[in-house]
Amino acid sequence: MTEKYVGQRMTRTEDPRLLTGQALFVDDVEIPGMLHAAFLRSDYAHARLRSIDVSAARNRPGVVAVYTAEDMEDAWKPCPPLVIPPPTVKGVLFHARTQVPLVKDKVRLLGEPLAVVIAESRYIAEDALEDIVVDLEPLEAVVDLEKALEPGAPLVHDDLDSNLAAHLIQKKGDYAAAREKADVVIKRRIVIDRCAAGAMENRGIVAYWDEKSQQLTIWDTTQAPIPIRNGLAGMFGLSSHQVRVIAPFVGGGFGPKVMMFYPEEVLLTWATLQLGRPIKWIEDRRENFLATTQERGQVHDAEIALTSDGRILGVSHTFIHDTGAYDPYGLTIPLNTQSHAMSAYDVPNYYSELKVAFTNKMIVTPVRGAGRPQGIFLMERLLDVAAKELGIDRVEIRKRNFIPPDAFPYNHEIIDQAFAALVFDSGNYLAGLEKAAAMIGYDQFIKEEQPRLRAEGRHVGIGIVSFVETTGVGPYEGARITVETDGKISAATGVGTQGQGHFTSFAQVIADQLGVSPRDIRLVTGDTSEFHWGTGTFASRGSVVAANAIHAAAKAVRTKILKLASKVLEAPEEELELVDNQVRVADIPHQSISLGELAVMANPLRGAVEPGTEPGLEATAYYGPQYGATASGSHAMIIEVDPETMMVEIKRYVTVEDCGTMLNPLIVEGQVHGGVALGIGNSYYEQLIYDENGQLLNASLADYLIPTASEVPRIEVGHEETRSPLNELGSKGAGEAGCIPVPALFAQALEDALADYDIEILEAPMSPNKLFALLQGKEKE
Amino acid sequence: MKIAGEYVFNGPREQVWELVRDPEVLATALPGTQSLNPVSENEYEGEMHVRVGPVAGVFSGRVVASDEVPPESYTLTVEGKGAPGFAKGTGHVQLIDQGDGTTLMKYEGEVQIGGRIASVGQRLMDSASKSMIRQGLEALNKALEARVAAKSGGQEVEYKPPSEAEFAAAVAKDMAGEVLLSSRLIWIAVAVVIVIVIVAVILIGRGG
Repeated sequence: MTEKYVGQRMTRTEDPRLLTGQALFVDDVEIPGMLHAAFLRSDYAHARLRSIDVSAARNRPGVVAVYTAEDMEDAWKPCPPLVIPPPTVKGVLFHARTQVPLVKDKVRLLGEPLAVVIAESRYIAEDALEDIVVDLEPLEAVVDLEKALEPGAPLVHDDLDSNLAAHLIQKKGDYAAAREKADVVIKRRIVIDRCAAGAMENRGIVAYWDEKSQQLTIWDTTQAPIPIRNGLAGMFGLSSHQVRVIAPFVGGGFGPKVMMFYPEEVLLTWATLQLGRPIKWIEDRRENFLATTQERGQVHDAEIALTSDGRILGVSHTFIHDTGAYDPYGLTIPLNTQSHAMSAYDVPNYYSELKVAFTNKMIVTPVRGAGRPQGIFLMERLLDVAAKELGIDRVEIRKRNFIPPDAFPYNHEIIDQAFAALVFDSGNYLAGLEKAAAMIGYDQFIKEEQPRLRAEGRHVGIGIVSFVETTGVGPYEGARITVETDGKISAATGVGTQGQGHFTSFAQVIADQLGVSPRDIRLVTGDTSEFHWGTGTFASRGSVVAANAIHAAAKAVRTKILKLASKVLEAPEEELELVDNQVRVADIPHQSISLGELAVMANPLRGAVEPGTEPGLEATAYYGPQYGATASGSHAMIIEVDPETMMVEIKRYVTVEDCGTMLNPLIVEGQVHGGVALGIGNSYYEQLIYDENGQLLNASLADYLIPTASEVPRIEVGHEETRSPLNELGSKGAGEAGCIPVPALFAQALEDALADYDIEILEAPMSPNKLFALLQGKEKE
Repeated sequence: MKIAGEYVFNGPREQVWELVRDPEVLATALPGTQSLNPVSENEYEGEMHVRVGPVAGVFSGRVVASDEVPPESYTLTVEGKGAPGFAKGTGHVQLIDQGDGTTLMKYEGEVQIGGRIASVGQRLMDSASKSMIRQGLEALNKALEARVAAKSGGQEVEYKPPSEAEFAAAVAKDMAGEVLLSSRLIWIAVAVVIVIVIVAVILIGRGG
């Protein structure tokens, strides 16, 4: 191997297509005879459906069909749950209640679909929605997650005794005993509210049942095409080989696009099976706010017990997690919170009690971060309060509590979201924090710059926090790699791609094994006809699980190449090298054969292939980790607050990321930048505001503030590389890392900037208004 | 959403009472009202074209007057729904004779709003509803003044209710004024654009 591509800052090979508008997105799919769908959605969050009359809509010219729940007959059933509750925890209570394709008896969330119109155009379909007469009897809505669990609260699901969806306790050591021994116990209430994922591309589906070929093709903005394929085939009695799901280029996933099955996915499939015509539905922005899943609503009563020198003896928290009207995603998010509330620290005693509440709000499924930001916010905030109370520096209290580098693998003694033991595989947390502190000039800022700025009357603060991220969980991914007869490489994997640069970083992995340029590799992701085993893109697992499957497949192809080339070139395999698209004898470079010629030989038209061998230079391989790889990092920032307007200016933003081996540092940095931007939104700008009736009050981008270029600063990215011992590439995930510590960092930096007001920020997201209210409260005291 | 306010009518209480209980006058005072028909003595059904920010559409609904104490007070219950969403509210209206030939109207109530009008128009809802009420009352007052003049002069004085376009423009101007008080220059441009867009949409709608 002359050149090594893994680790290089290669520019992305997919970008020319994306930047010149040549990439296929779902809305680009046009099929002759295609129909368009529009959904009638409930204006109430909680209501009984008394009657629905669609006759006028059916009679509108251009309308092909209008369907209600009744029309679906036996095909109407609640969607299967995605994730079952952890079987390994004792005494776990879990009530699975999953979403339905169309409301049959009761509306449980604002925007829940009541009927679908299929028409010759979207315009006609939208107009026909207004012809539908619906009689809904409004019911009192369950909105506040604490009130949801109070006795006498209205029930989201009438067949349950209460709105308690789940209850689970996880313990390590004995927190109560640790608390007894503690010099100081700090108790705080932490509140975190909902945000939207806000992908640039809304969801979209084209479903087409071709009666003659008996093939169902679905283009879907999903992050998990293979499970969608499997599920839809099962629901409608088709062989999985009759169903092809294609997730083409997708303009941002961020988690909600993995939630299967959305009612629209089921309905469009069912409708095309009825009509035998292709049907398209593209979500509009308001629908995206009402019909795409959300995350983050949690209330924690938290405690930390410490010694007087700031060593953590234990952490305890009892929390309510808002799952919305249904819980198809099981306990993934709150389990992530439970497994990140100890963060990077050696916490000997831990108690975490979880209650999940049903509310009349949008279903909660992971949004980039997926429960981790809540856990990190809790721990980092408790540590900050403790540091202040004990008079210890913020950086110092963290240093005293980190899991030391020689303690790995470190067993946290609880289970994680994958139901595996929460074991941190590797890390060097101290190094990350020290690097971040050095990059931002923490000591110098505190000692010199800040006093000078404060003397000028300016409110400038610094924040610095640490975090961990469990990444790359199982079960598995796979890949198939083929050497084509022209010497180019074809590769396919099951994960979908939503902008992560898979086409480049995966190609780098293959290129290193096969001695080709990454630009010679044609990679397909997210098309079940190309590769049909796998799970999906989530949990920061692409560069861990999929990349290692690709690595394994590339190695297997390399073995085949060497075996055949050894015969052809009459040289032992050990003396061969793969360079510049050919195999050659290392010491005799002119004794060589191109990969293309070799591929032709591997698939002969005459002669005999030896028994026990396979034709072609092709291999399929899988990778499934025993448990997830743990990424980590530290973020720091300097922020200035205008105490009159509460507007903030981020003066510097520094991150140090440790995601193990970086397949492509440029892509890692891009992921970090995007994550930080999302985190800034989660910290100070974005919040979904529901009123007491469950009406979403800011369902537009005019009112829901996603950070723009003016709110997102230049981000300086530093790296640590602690290779994961769990996989051959040594990689860990990086997709979510950027957003995880930001709310905690923001809170700390705001407190520091406004030190003279002595405020405590215990909620996320904050906003200029909330900060103003906090300062007002302080002035009154 | 809570709604409360006061308004002084230039006329005696009995005449104000007659006016606010006259569905035809009420219909003209809130342009956009396409119909308002009595179904019983104290109950009306009607349709109204409503526009809040980017959301527009027809609401059909019912208005019920109850707890009447002529000419002092009554309670209005309104329920409407349509493509833009739904609204449900109760308001208490009180008329106070000020002794100088004018009448003070006090109103307070609570409105529950849902659907698109709540989720997209929320930011404008408060000022839009206040402004619509104010503009509606202005129109009523003009109608009242015309009636009072007619009575005293013994001749018909022409009262011309505002057109939907005039009403919308007045609401927009009113809202822009409110915004200007508290915000920056950029809002002038925004307000001007809102007025132009609303007027243009209405004109185009009529032209088409």
